[in-house]
Amino acid sequence: MEALRRFATRFSDWATIRDRPSALQSAVMSATCIALALFIWYIVTAGPVEERIVDPITLPSLADTVHSFPKLWFERALARGAIASLGRVLGGFILAAAIAVPLGICAGSFLRLNAFLRPISIFGRNIPIAALIPLTLMWFGLGELQKVMFIFFASVAFIFFDTVRSVEDVPDSYLDAAYTLGAKYVPRHGAKWAAIVGLGYAIVFGAAYYRLAQRPGPNDIELIAAWRIGFAQVSIFGLFLGFVLWFPPLAYQAIQKVLMPLAMPDVVNSLRLLFGLAFGYIMLAEVINADYGLGAIINLSQRQGPREHIYLSLILISLLAFGIDRGILTVQRWCFPYKRMGEQ
Amino acid sequence: MAGVATPLPPCSITEIPRGTPKEGVPPVVEFKGVTKTFNANTSKAFTAIRDVTFSVEDVEGHGEFVAILGPSGCGKSTVLRQIAGLAPHHPPTRGEVLLAGKPITGPGPDRGMVFQDYTSFDNRTVLDNVAFGLECRGIAQKERYELAKEWIAKVKLNPVKDAYKYPHQLSGGMRQRVAIARTLILKPRVILMDEPFGALDPATRHNMQDLLIELWREVQATVFFITHDVNEAVFLGDRCYIFSNSPGTIIHQFRISPPDRPARHIMREKSFLETVYHVREILDGLEEGKT
Ligand SMILES: Nc1ncnc2c1ncn2[C@@H]1O[C@H](COP(=O)(O)OP(=O)(O)OP(=O)(O)O)[C@@H](O)[C@H]1O
Ligand SMILES: [Mg+2]
Repeated sequence: MEALRRFATRFSDWATIRDRPSALQSAVMSATCIALALFIWYIVTAGPVEERIVDPITLPSLADTVHSFPKLWFERALARGAIASLGRVLGGFILAAAIAVPLGICAGSFLRLNAFLRPISIFGRNIPIAALIPLTLMWFGLGELQKVMFIFFASVAFIFFDTVRSVEDVPDSYLDAAYTLGAKYVPRHGAKWAAIVGLGYAIVFGAAYYRLAQRPGPNDIELIAAWRIGFAQVSIFGLFLGFVLWFPPLAYQAIQKVLMPLAMPDVVNSLRLLFGLAFGYIMLAEVINADYGLGAIINLSQRQGPREHIYLSLILISLLAFGIDRGILTVQRWCFPYKRMGEQ
Repeated sequence: MAGVATPLPPCSITEIPRGTPKEGVPPVVEFKGVTKTFNANTSKAFTAIRDVTFSVEDVEGHGEFVAILGPSGCGKSTVLRQIAGLAPHHPPTRGEVLLAGKPITGPGPDRGMVFQDYTSFDNRTVLDNVAFGLECRGIAQKERYELAKEWIAKVKLNPVKDAYKYPHQLSGGMRQRVAIARTLILKPRVILMDEPFGALDPATRHNMQDLLIELWREVQATVFFITHDVNEAVFLGDRCYIFSNSPGTIIHQFRISPPDRPARHIMREKSFLETVYHVREILDGLEEGKT
């Protein structure tokens, strides 16, 4: 009763610009929206098939949709599909972030490098994402590598751009303060830590190659040798890349101790938002060609039915994406207690 | 104070002749005909300061406190940032800025700076903010935390309760205390302060002024202090430079007796008020001279 009274505050609150509702009120408003959507769905698909406002081919009834869940879970292996999709996005996204974040930090600090990379960044952000699918199919074939690389190309320019902007947004006065407090260039410190980070990159790149490159059969000695050489090359490339990308941010104290930590909350925040987008993009690749994964489930449901699965998958995907988003946000708040963010 | 050539009555003023370098030791800071033109050789060329010449001697065991006054936009910050060696004000377009006889090539921890806007690093606790300079020097954590805690106490913050707070949890006055602590902990030869108390209320301001005097006596650095508040300049300064309208140059130099009692006492005395009145006359004249 008390809760209800608290909820029904004066109408003038509703018409007041930026009047903040209580947490309870917000929750009730959101719940009302969901209930309303479900209710409309229920109304337009209620009754026997012939009498429905919307026919079952356009929109299946709420009850049918809910009842088809066990089939989706067990026969279509929803959980396995979700994990597969998530793995692809994570693979491509981590690869993109591993390159674009340090490069963005460098470009945000050294503006000539930024001017040099700007054309690539603009190009990368403006190519239509869908056009990357035929391109990656051409370059990487039909396997897992194509999907990972699709996500990589779809997100790398955006991550780079957001990182540069976050670093540039740190006011000059912080840098001035750092310099007058003695921030300097310490190449030895930079080399040591960049080597350690490079080792991490080598391991990640090596693991990715191990996982994604087609391994030849045990009898094919020549191909196995080639595979091993590829493995070594990729690992060494990772070591080199990690070192080169991280040396400047770790050698300049003004970047390591000031620009990077002050930009980091913004960087992580935009990584969270971009990850949400990338998770949407993977469906695009999976709908077109995949044997398993969430996109494949939707595609299969559309072609072979039941159609209820499409709706159910869409709802579950957005719930999953929302869950991931909240998870990252919680970690973010814990890591950066001095910064309020993601109030949305 | 020891070292001042002639003891002066409280708050009296004497004009000191321009540019009389002493023999032997080079001055701590010396400007020789310094002019700064921004965007030189373009249509947007703008001269911020012209022909600024002064020198501040390094008196044994006693740093001078130089207060800088002048109308808004006359180039006070430009002068200060040139001493700090911060771009884009450094390097000067013409003339020389010398630190202990050597040209300044860039910023360094031997010249600490306290800014008007809060520049505490948001991602660091008070303790880590104060220890920042020591961290850059590569001093071990235990040692730098010990020293930082000492300085947190010296600026009258609570080393137990406040040390682990983040800047956003502090008031404006507390943040400036942090800024002062993190600068003074490095024992700089020269301390540059650009309206550090500009954003504080009068009561907090008085407390901060007393605190600053106390700490300055301890570290004995040469202080350059920009302010718009004539009371503050006359109270804090040993010496006071008044800049002309833009493009700024020094038009008056005074020697003022140093503060020996708390701000709120001195500021009520007749001789103090007379000095303030005199300086204010000059500044008002400059403001009127603006177009
Ligand atoms: N980076 C810059 N580029 C171009 N002009 C500048 C730059 N920095 C300052 N100026 C100009 O130089 C003049 C002097 O600036 P400065 O900041 O030194 O003045 P100030 O005396 O500190 O003023 P205030 O009392 O308002 O702080 C101003 O007119 C300003 O517009
Ligand atoms: Mg200024």
